Amino acid sequence: MSTLRMMGQVLTHPIDFFQELRDPGRIRWYRAPLLVLLAFAAKMASIMVTGFAFQTREAYEISSLFELVWIVVPWATWCVANWGVSSILDGEGRFGEVVHGSAFALVPYILFAVPVTLLTNWLSLDESGLYEFLMTLVLGWCAWLLLLMVRIVHDFETGKMLFIVLLTLIGMGVIWFIFILLFGFMSQFVYFVLDLIKEIRLRG
Amino acid sequence: MRRRYRFWLVPAVLALMLSSPSGAAAVTPYEGYAWAVNGQDVHSVNGYVYSRSIDGAYLPSGPFKSPESVFIAGSGDIYVVDTGNNRIVQLDAEHRFVRTIGDAEGAGQLNGPKGVFVKEDGTLYVADTKNRRIAVFDREGRFVREYPAPESPLLGRGFNYSPSRLVLDKRDYLYVVSDGNTQGLLQIDPGGAFKGFYGANHVGFSWRRLLIRLLATEEQRSRLATVRPAEFSDVDIDAEGFIYTTTLGEPYNQLKRLSPVGVDTLNGGAKRAYGDRFDVGPYAMAAFMAISVGPDGIMSALDLQTGKVFQYDKLGNFLFAFGGIGEQNGLFVTPADLDQSPRGELYVVDKGRHRVDVFRTTPFADLVHEASRLYVDGRYREAEALWHEVLRQNANYEMAYVAIGKALYNAERYEEAMAYFKLARARGDYSLAFKEYRKAYIREHFDVFFAAVVAGFLLLRFGVPRLWRRIRKGVSRRQAAGIAIGPEKGEAP
Repeated sequence: MSTLRMMGQVLTHPIDFFQELRDPGRIRWYRAPLLVLLAFAAKMASIMVTGFAFQTREAYEISSLFELVWIVVPWATWCVANWGVSSILDGEGRFGEVVHGSAFALVPYILFAVPVTLLTNWLSLDESGLYEFLMTLVLGWCAWLLLLMVRIVHDFETGKMLFIVLLTLIGMGVIWFIFILLFGFMSQFVYFVLDLIKEIRLRG
Repeated sequence: MRRRYRFWLVPAVLALMLSSPSGAAAVTPYEGYAWAVNGQDVHSVNGYVYSRSIDGAYLPSGPFKSPESVFIAGSGDIYVVDTGNNRIVQLDAEHRFVRTIGDAEGAGQLNGPKGVFVKEDGTLYVADTKNRRIAVFDREGRFVREYPAPESPLLGRGFNYSPSRLVLDKRDYLYVVSDGNTQGLLQIDPGGAFKGFYGANHVGFSWRRLLIRLLATEEQRSRLATVRPAEFSDVDIDAEGFIYTTTLGEPYNQLKRLSPVGVDTLNGGAKRAYGDRFDVGPYAMAAFMAISVGPDGIMSALDLQTGKVFQYDKLGNFLFAFGGIGEQNGLFVTPADLDQSPRGELYVVDKGRHRVDVFRTTPFADLVHEASRLYVDGRYREAEALWHEVLRQNANYEMAYVAIGKALYNAERYEEAMAYFKLARARGDYSLAFKEYRKAYIREHFDVFFAAVVAGFLLLRFGVPRLWRRIRKGVSRRQAAGIAIGPEKGEAP
């Protein structure tokens, strides 16, 4: 089944889609990175087509690298945290399924972000409510697909699903905290070694 | 022959190269700049240049000593508050000596005066700082009366009266800045009675303070410095009776225009930073020491931190900056006060150099002032031509783009207005112009839009269902054929 048809299926029959994810041979390794890159492309394209009145940042304030990081890092930590939390609490999903499902949850954003943003070229600022409503709708759709993914892939009831999602969010926070901590320690350590070398050189 | 030409050519070219720049450049020790929305300053034409100084050395009264303030009356007479010599020196508009005031022995003798205000009839009100009173002199310089330190339970026990600057409103009420007082301007009626504080600054809400108050013990709290509202440093009044103040120790809204009931009408609830942007260097807060308001509502304010004078139009848009700290003419050692003459010159008191420096406007500044006057009055159409001239002389002057955009908007030329608002990155104004443009566009092309709506309706009502039926028919036919042959490879059943 081609990626395009799967994107169509996740929009029209999301429950079937996530159930069929567990069938053998459905998962291809290249699809998740491809979809994340598509989401990034949609983000950049929507920044580019935003109408002048709706631009909140000047061009020099936008960095494509930062935009990429802001999509990839939260998405990747979500996958890791969700897989980790669910595995501990009797979830049935494997890592590949979580990654795949989370990537396909981005499909509404990939498809509709640019058309909705195009509206800003024909709206004035006092009609921005319409744009914001549609954008919230698209993002809400993505969030709903994520919740559905957690429920079906791991085979949870709704109550446990919400609990797992909460734990996943906390887990994401913990992962970030640890990474920042590690980064701090590492840089301290590197500077310590460099200082040590400098000291020895100056004495010797 | 050729060799001789070459011999003469070299010195001739050298002479040309050396002589031309010195004649062309006007030398100011500071550079003009304007604000741009992208967070940076851009080069601009200087608005004010140094013209001359008054240091009193050639006056019969002798040189000034640490002057603190200057006041220029409507007649053009200049009153220099010669603090170190304990007197006021009155000069006429041509800087000729008229008289000294307050240096004769007796009840009228001044002691370290810091401010003066002259009523239209020539009556002088002097903030006699070290005598802790306001002294009043008539137009001939004779002592008339005094307002001693006000007394009222409102003032509190620790109140220390140290009047430094003052203005008089049309009812002859005095508004006095008392150094170090944080409760506002002191309002004193013509009889000398204290009538309350006016226009006090407020201490805003702060999460940090709330947290400290919740967590700190009684003992810790008593050790913290009490938070006081910021104090005023100068006061001025315009012809309509609005009172302008400068505030010390605040990063925002240091300039205020107070209505007769003491409400700030300049900043309108927004947080606006006046003075330089300090985001490039080490952080330092602007310390505005003085303010002077011109007849068109153009405000000039003096910042002690940078030694610069900043000029704003009536709406608070930045126009010009000049001055700085230094030794050259045009820079200041310790600037203390400024005022504007009826001819539009700015007089800046340099206390550290014991003199008053006079700055004249450049033709560019005259142009901007005139354009800004029309613009602030809402006469956009008349201002438009002037703003175009401003842009011709200085294409970096961003305010001009907004102003021209507004003029075009008023003339219902929305598409051109949008282009100008876009240049000035004025998104709100752009959006308004765009809305009008869109309205006009749809009205003009109504037939097309109407046809599109009808066509869309017909398509949805008849075209799409028919297409749908055809597809379904095709699919079922293919499925029927598929059953006969067997499922296709890779196709979901």
